[in-house]
Amino acid sequence: MKIPSRDRLLGACLGLMLSAVPVLAHHSFAAEYDSKTLVTVTGVITKVEWTNPHIYFYVDVKDASGTVVNWAVEGYPPNTLKRTGFTRDDLKIGDMVTVTAYKAKDSSSRLAGREVTFPDGSKKFAGPAGAR
Amino acid sequence: MTASLRFLALAALPVALGFAQSPSAPPAAQPIPRTADGKPNLSGVWQGGGVSLYGDAADGTQRKYAAPVNPPPKREPLPYQSWAEAKSKTFTPADDPTLRCLLPGIPRITSMPMPFEIVQTPTEIVIAYESFHAFRIIPINDKLQHPNDLVPTWMGDAVARWDGDTLVVDVTGFNDKTWLSGTGSIHSEDLHVVERFQLNSDDTITYTATVTDPKVLTKPWTTGALLRRPPNTRVEEYECIENNQDVQHIAK
Repeated sequence: MKIPSRDRLLGACLGLMLSAVPVLAHHSFAAEYDSKTLVTVTGVITKVEWTNPHIYFYVDVKDASGTVVNWAVEGYPPNTLKRTGFTRDDLKIGDMVTVTAYKAKDSSSRLAGREVTFPDGSKKFAGPAGAR
Repeated sequence: MTASLRFLALAALPVALGFAQSPSAPPAAQPIPRTADGKPNLSGVWQGGGVSLYGDAADGTQRKYAAPVNPPPKREPLPYQSWAEAKSKTFTPADDPTLRCLLPGIPRITSMPMPFEIVQTPTEIVIAYESFHAFRIIPINDKLQHPNDLVPTWMGDAVARWDGDTLVVDVTGFNDKTWLSGTGSIHSEDLHVVERFQLNSDDTITYTATVTDPKVLTKPWTTGALLRRPPNTRVEEYECIENNQDVQHIAK
């Protein structure tokens, strides 16, 4: 799946349930990501960095023209994820995952991950909801 | 009003406010745990906020708590002197010291969405914070006497005394590099913080911090947090500088 040209907005129904102030612990969410626009990407996990102050995993996403872009997806700190039931073992290199996320404001290939859908269809939150 | 009527009225209040956990039995006040020397026992793991404490509203894991018996004060805007207000507005989130994994200072660290552990002895209180690997070793000292060789530091120098059942922590010796709360919440080296930790019957701690800084503020400023015991949580490692990509990408 590609990133839609104008970033598909899923906020209409999700937004009603989400908190207004995203918290990423060590930096301002809104200063780095477009916290109002949720996008969806599907791709294959190529690398996992289970690190502080935030985890990153990288996903190869192919667009309509066949071009592959490797997106970096940022999430909560490792300890926070573990405490919410999202473990390091959930992210397996080679797995196809769908991620809802917020794009970086600086146009780099970086995303603030919100929800990950795993190959078995289960879903877990990787990071906070954006602002409404 | 008779004593019994007064009791009934008080017992009904949480129900009226929608806080009761069950229609038949409002939660009874529990005596607070105490140490052998009779002080409230603050020891344990505590946390002021964050998804690992409160859950996520969107996935049904949000935890519901009864209204706290002793809520912290509502945070007011910082009462800056005009020059300080102007200077404060020159900062952006890209200037946040914690973005560079520097210590958050006091009182900001208390509201970070990570746990910390309080270890209490009759002669000192130790607080080990997960966030930024901070720690404080706080001597109990009824005269609140600080060492006379202080140089400015990020977390300041803390001494404590018991005021009845409230632990009062007096903190001074700060540098001027931390923020008090949000973006640009600056202070000077004259910052003085008085923190209060009050253990409540509902197993929460009401934390308040009164901040004075005559070089920067027009009057004292008070902030606070409600601390809860995060479930199944121990304080673990947080090596913030390990993979700090945000510092290169955050908007200036």
